[in-house]
Amino acid sequence: MIEFRNVSKVYATGTHALNKASLTIDKGEFVFIVGSSGAGKSTFLKLIMREEVPTSGSIIVNGMQLDKMKRRHVPKLRRTMGIVFQDFRLIDKMTVYDNVAFAMRAIGVRPRAIKKRVPYILELVGLENKADRYPSELSGGEQQRVGLARALVNNPQMIIADEPTGNIDPEMSYEILELLSEINKRGTTILIVTHELDLVHSFGGRVITIDKGVVVSDTLDIQS
Amino acid sequence: MRFSGFGYLIKEGIKSIWSNRMMSLASIGVLISCLLLTGTAELLTMTVSYNLESVGGTNVTRVFLEQEVTDLEAVHISDELSRMENVSATAVVTKDEAIKDYQETVGEDIFAQLMGEGNPLPNAIDVTMTDLALYDSTISAILAVDGVESARDTRAIAQKLTDLSELVSTVSLWIVIALVLISVFIISNSIRMTMYSRRFEISIMKSVGATNTFVRIPFVIEGMTIGLISGAISSVVLYFLYDTLTTAITKIMPINLIPYSQVGGFMTLVFIGAGMLIGALGSVVSIGRYLRKEGNELLGW
Repeated sequence: MIEFRNVSKVYATGTHALNKASLTIDKGEFVFIVGSSGAGKSTFLKLIMREEVPTSGSIIVNGMQLDKMKRRHVPKLRRTMGIVFQDFRLIDKMTVYDNVAFAMRAIGVRPRAIKKRVPYILELVGLENKADRYPSELSGGEQQRVGLARALVNNPQMIIADEPTGNIDPEMSYEILELLSEINKRGTTILIVTHELDLVHSFGGRVITIDKGVVVSDTLDIQS
Repeated sequence: MRFSGFGYLIKEGIKSIWSNRMMSLASIGVLISCLLLTGTAELLTMTVSYNLESVGGTNVTRVFLEQEVTDLEAVHISDELSRMENVSATAVVTKDEAIKDYQETVGEDIFAQLMGEGNPLPNAIDVTMTDLALYDSTISAILAVDGVESARDTRAIAQKLTDLSELVSTVSLWIVIALVLISVFIISNSIRMTMYSRRFEISIMKSVGATNTFVRIPFVIEGMTIGLISGAISSVVLYFLYDTLTTAITKIMPINLIPYSQVGGFMTLVFIGAGMLIGALGSVVSIGRYLRKEGNELLGW
């Protein structure tokens, strides 16, 4: 669950990235955040992940109040979310399996649990036969599915995808969204930040538009 | 943090020493030089205080008698001295005994020929004082006695050794401080190289909620392993160096040396302990700085 109440963010450079933005995203929702570049989408994500702190206003994410959160509690917050990046962010020298397992090792999960969980997640994203491949041997769509598997592997309450289809061809893009939709049906909140309006409209769902740091529209696309 | 992921972190730390081997090698080299220099300074201090104990530790002053004084007369003088204030004991050292002593310390047989008539040494008396603070007045009283020629001022030797010991301690303390700082600096730079080569992984770790402690562990392991290796190599080098070094020193100064077996274990422990501590410190310094700044960014790099 995400709740922004009158959130403003002014950077040290003087840029007003968000201006009294308020919105609520409930548990289990499937939401697109759209807007042109520089609209405040990235700031919105950074605030959710507590990479940035708001200048004013309050933010609650998965039951934690971020504007008052101490730095040492940030890992606890991040463990409730899985992040999918536009550029995949896979480690080249690691296999698909290790890339996914890495996210579990990084938070100290037992090796036995990792061995059980990773194959299950790889099967979920349809990569069970590519566990031993390296990222460079995969297509863009496949790489993003590894990214998705990594985001999912620690069983987060919420998936945040930052332009997840920005680096892959349209056909594959739709597949990734389908996969995210499948995950959503299992109860995970999905938040997708994108500027590809065509894809959003063909897919449907709740669409929140940000422009110049303000939430300008919040609509439910009926095609969903 | 659970213990389960620890094996993985240790493996990662040791792996990066190899993948970053040029820098690791440089760190190990610098650390070894630092440890050896520090160790040599420490050994020197230890040797000086060891000698100080044998010289200044006793309150015995050797009083030399005039050449003409016979053995019997020496006993009489000794008797007289023992009745003086501040003198707790006296012992006659005959000229032949003195020659024997020389022979034993130096180990040359020519002294044997000097025994008896040809002995050039005077008879002497070892005087033990109760209170060294009264040294001056006691000595002047002793020198006033008939037949007494001179007294060996062990206080002067003790004083010289104490001064030397203090000088060595002070100088080596500064050397140690400087070298520790240099080592920490070099190691932290080496670790920083590893960190930059792994900053991508760090950002992923942080994005999935790894704690700073968890991110830090492989780097601390890396630093401590570098320290351990350096400490171990330094100990081995010192073992071989000690012999050469002490032989050279005894040629210049006839001093008593501490046998290696008495200091070797201690020095090895100190080397390994100090090496690991410096290694850990170096990595904590660099990773701390990194995590406070760049390490916190997930999207923006």
